[in-house]
Amino acid sequence: METETIAFSLLLLPLLSALVTLLFFRNSGNIASLLSVATSGGILVFSLFLIFQGENESFVWQGTWLKLANWELNFGFLIDAPARLLLFVVSFVGFLIHIFSLGYMSDDDAKARYFGGLSLFMFSMIGITVADNLIMIFVFWELVGFSSYLLISHYFTTDEAAQASKKAFIVNRVGDFGFLIGIVLTYWIADTVNLIELSQLVDSYPSYYVTTTIGLALACGFIGKSAQFPLHVWLPDAMAGPTPVSALIHAATMVAAGIYLLLRIDFMFTSQVLTLLAVLGAAMGLYAGFCALVQRDIKKILAYSTLSQLGYMTAAFGLGMPGIALFHLMTHAFFKALMFLGSGSVIHACHHEQDIFNYGGLRKKMPITACTFLIGVLAISGVNFLSGYFSKDAILLGAYNLNLPVFIILYAGAILTAIYMFRLYFITFEGDPRSEKSTNAHESGPLMTGPLILLSILSIVGGYHSIFPIAIVESILPDIAKVTEMPNHLWMIVLGTFAWVAGVIIAKNLYRRVDQVDPLSVKAPLFFSLCQSKLFFDQIYAFYVKMIQDPLTRFFEVLELLFISGLMVRGSAGVAGLFALIGKTFYNGKIHSYAFWFISGTIAFIAYALGLLGN
Amino acid sequence: MSFHQTLLLGSILVPALCSILLFSGLGKRDSVVKNISYIGFLFPFLAGIILFVNFDSAMRGYCFEVFYPQMGLQELKITFHLGLNGVSSPLFAMAGIVGLAAGIAAIHSGADRLRLYLALLLIMQSGLMGLFASIDLFFYYLFHEFALIPTFIMIGLWGGRDRRSVALEITIYLTLGALISLGGLVALNVLVDAEKFDFPSLSSALAETALADSTQVKIFGLLLFGFGILVALFPFHTWAAKGYEAAPTSVSMLHAGVLKKFGLYGLIQIAVPLLPEGAREWSPYLMWLALGNILFVGFVTMAQTNLKSMVGYGSVMHMGYCFLGVAACTALGAGAGVMLMVAHGLSVSVMFLLATQIQKRSGTFEMNEMGGLGTKTPILACFFIAASLATIGLPGFGNFWGEFGVFLSLGQEPDHHLFLGLAALGIIISAIFGLRAIAKIFYGSPSDELLEHVKKNPISDLKSQEIVSAGIILIALLFLGFWPRGISDRIDTEIETRYSGVPSLTTTSLPPCCLLKLNNSTTDGNLTNYSSDKIGIPTQNNSIK
Repeated sequence: METETIAFSLLLLPLLSALVTLLFFRNSGNIASLLSVATSGGILVFSLFLIFQGENESFVWQGTWLKLANWELNFGFLIDAPARLLLFVVSFVGFLIHIFSLGYMSDDDAKARYFGGLSLFMFSMIGITVADNLIMIFVFWELVGFSSYLLISHYFTTDEAAQASKKAFIVNRVGDFGFLIGIVLTYWIADTVNLIELSQLVDSYPSYYVTTTIGLALACGFIGKSAQFPLHVWLPDAMAGPTPVSALIHAATMVAAGIYLLLRIDFMFTSQVLTLLAVLGAAMGLYAGFCALVQRDIKKILAYSTLSQLGYMTAAFGLGMPGIALFHLMTHAFFKALMFLGSGSVIHACHHEQDIFNYGGLRKKMPITACTFLIGVLAISGVNFLSGYFSKDAILLGAYNLNLPVFIILYAGAILTAIYMFRLYFITFEGDPRSEKSTNAHESGPLMTGPLILLSILSIVGGYHSIFPIAIVESILPDIAKVTEMPNHLWMIVLGTFAWVAGVIIAKNLYRRVDQVDPLSVKAPLFFSLCQSKLFFDQIYAFYVKMIQDPLTRFFEVLELLFISGLMVRGSAGVAGLFALIGKTFYNGKIHSYAFWFISGTIAFIAYALGLLGN
Repeated sequence: MSFHQTLLLGSILVPALCSILLFSGLGKRDSVVKNISYIGFLFPFLAGIILFVNFDSAMRGYCFEVFYPQMGLQELKITFHLGLNGVSSPLFAMAGIVGLAAGIAAIHSGADRLRLYLALLLIMQSGLMGLFASIDLFFYYLFHEFALIPTFIMIGLWGGRDRRSVALEITIYLTLGALISLGGLVALNVLVDAEKFDFPSLSSALAETALADSTQVKIFGLLLFGFGILVALFPFHTWAAKGYEAAPTSVSMLHAGVLKKFGLYGLIQIAVPLLPEGAREWSPYLMWLALGNILFVGFVTMAQTNLKSMVGYGSVMHMGYCFLGVAACTALGAGAGVMLMVAHGLSVSVMFLLATQIQKRSGTFEMNEMGGLGTKTPILACFFIAASLATIGLPGFGNFWGEFGVFLSLGQEPDHHLFLGLAALGIIISAIFGLRAIAKIFYGSPSDELLEHVKKNPISDLKSQEIVSAGIILIALLFLGFWPRGISDRIDTEIETRYSGVPSLTTTSLPPCCLLKLNNSTTDGNLTNYSSDKIGIPTQNNSIK
């Protein structure tokens, strides 16, 4: 088979599956779910085939998609080293999450809609991964946003899901607004949006093509999709969707697509933009950590931790180590998907209870979930020789050597990560059950624990990049080599170990024994409420919508009714009516007034003809 | 006459004939009336699709020409001349598709005096097909009036709330717009010494003796504001939303979807390529007015709580993008404008259709009195979400390519970057009102009013004829979204030819990479592709391909 046939099959298979589900299996959830899982299996096979074909060369294919005057757009594939890595992450993690969903969604009423949505998401996500030009990326970019919208609104009868889905889409659109402008400007400055051609152009004339304006505009897309400051507000709300969706879309793949976009166009950024990204990322790493520290909802904690880890990736990218960002993207996909699925297993067992203070003692009830979850916690905290240790410490080491302020923020974030993750673990799995739901919880079935075990293995060994085939990890090797050559290795091992050990000790002292009240809110109430306010971003945006946007729309409506419709339209009708009124007075039905006007008209005409009037 | 020519002529005559049959009172039973109407709507649909598929996209100029010089007034250069080119063929097919959907909706609408209603709608359909099939500008205008007059009658007779005052306002506005644009057309007819009153003759005549710049500016002004009023250009848009809210659904669909494109079609096909200097002069003003459509009307749309008026205002808002495409005065802008016209016609009409289906079930257009409909009517919800997202320019639907093309055309000229930035805000605005509507209607829990209503009137999901009428439009939108080449190729060929005479505004320094490209390409841009001897020989391009 031709490679492009495989690539097309890979891309179109999930779309076809979604379409068939929509048309034929709307009401038969079981068939739809099996179809979708089979599709994700097919995706895995096709992607592995694509990854391992052709001796690690980039696969490039193009066909005309549209031609309109001086706008020529290709539909093309660019499967190079970073694409292969993301393809592996998306298809592999996606496959495991599909299987997990079989168990998690088994008693859902709208299974067909859920699995159809998942397939649609896989289609869009693969599209982003393999796209070879910016406009095509934008197309699939919006489509992942749409499938995310659909899946967040899965429980659409609740107001929470209705609001959250809307918020996610609109906030993403704000980011896409900048992205779109960036693409348009790029097109006219470089006359192409093809990634390869762009990078070649930039190589030859860097000062001409790389401008801060375009870089910032393009980065807007990333900021929206990866939920970075100031567009981060949608991600915690998006947890209203089913938990496997949060694992797949809002942790492992879609939000990470923002990082992937940066990587695809890393040549388009000036050093100013890169520094800005590094600072933004580091700040997000710390800020989201503080937010996570005071959450009660298990999924919200994980959502903020995702924001924080995305901040680490951004910082890595901004420091000029895109390969390390990609490395952390991969390990994060493993352990964060693991923890989200673990939380799904807990939520499933506790009948959709999500408040961690209503859990407790779940380790004895759900040993596999607890054990795998602990592995995830250890990995994200950067415990030595687990996957997160390698990727995160590479970022920290790079920051230490390249930009000390960024390092300090990131390091504080690392301690914080260990604290809030162990807080989550201790409160949920240790101690005694604190509600009836957690007392009666029991371990989930093999469909759910199976993916957990596989992901926990990857969370342990995923950091040893040499265990992966070179075809997958090729893109991260150069930057790893760069970091390996950096000084201060030993120092970083000590600091890294200190960070997570300190975190565990603090968490253990604070949260080992809890009841329904968060101990932090008693010990440091001011700090607690400051964290809980999340620096008022939601309030500020709500204020904008309520006090500025809505009144403005009403003002414009009034303007429309009063001025345009009322004054201009009615006014011109009034002027016409006035003329009619004047005209009407001449037609008063009296013969002598007609005679009068007739005679005066005749006299005026004769006067004009004789030249008495006018000239 | 070949098969394709017969189809082209038939798409105008068949609905008109069916309408005459209905007027004549043939068939007492309802089923006869309905079957006649089905024929009247199906024929243009099939003709549109067949002619669209068989159109040779490499063709320049007109295909399937039907030419009767003796019909019309030859002293006034008016002849009866039909044909399709790359720009009109997608619009012609779109008119057929929307017509069928509107027809099905009307046939099953249960309106009283159904026979009269359908007969008038068929006249409208006949006029719409004729409008896009006409080469001769007189008949182009005539068919527009042909379609416009039944609109007034139907709003007056079958309209909703305040139908009489709305019918009056819409009549005054549209007649005024039509009159002003007629003035422009007459000026063209009189001032240009052409053999015939159609674009090819006019442009070849103008190539020999061009009009003075000041004359061009005047004529273009007439055409711009005449056509602009017909397309609801800001601030002449207030009739539109009100009119669509009051009009019966099928009329809103045909008017907002198809008939309103008359003005833009005239600007893109005729006014800008014939009067490039005039267009250039007016371009900045038009840009600001189009921004008025996008931002001002966009904000007004956000304030709407009535579903039908929201759809109406939304359709006016998105017309702003088409105007921006025109105002860019480039082939890209115009081509993107045409793509958006086609997609907009489809998406707006399906929105009106679905809004009425929602109203049938919830008993109201007031969105605050709905909620939670998604559980009861999943198919309707799915269709409505698809249609809304098409409207707000989600990729995968045709509207995206049009909007993106317009943005791209604005990026070409650094002076237009301000407009690009402001116009792109529209994608956020439309997302806000589109998703708000979905959430208010289908998500959440039902409002008290809805529960009250449902108690008396049980809700059912879409019926099969409702699925068909909305389905054909959505399929067309998806086709355009996934395979934009399906229309872009033919638009491209035609637009490149028409706009090769429009001087580019661009004066910017070229980037290093382009210098190479420019040297390799030929840059002589005259309207030489329209050889005048081709025009009089209609038989040349009619063979079945």
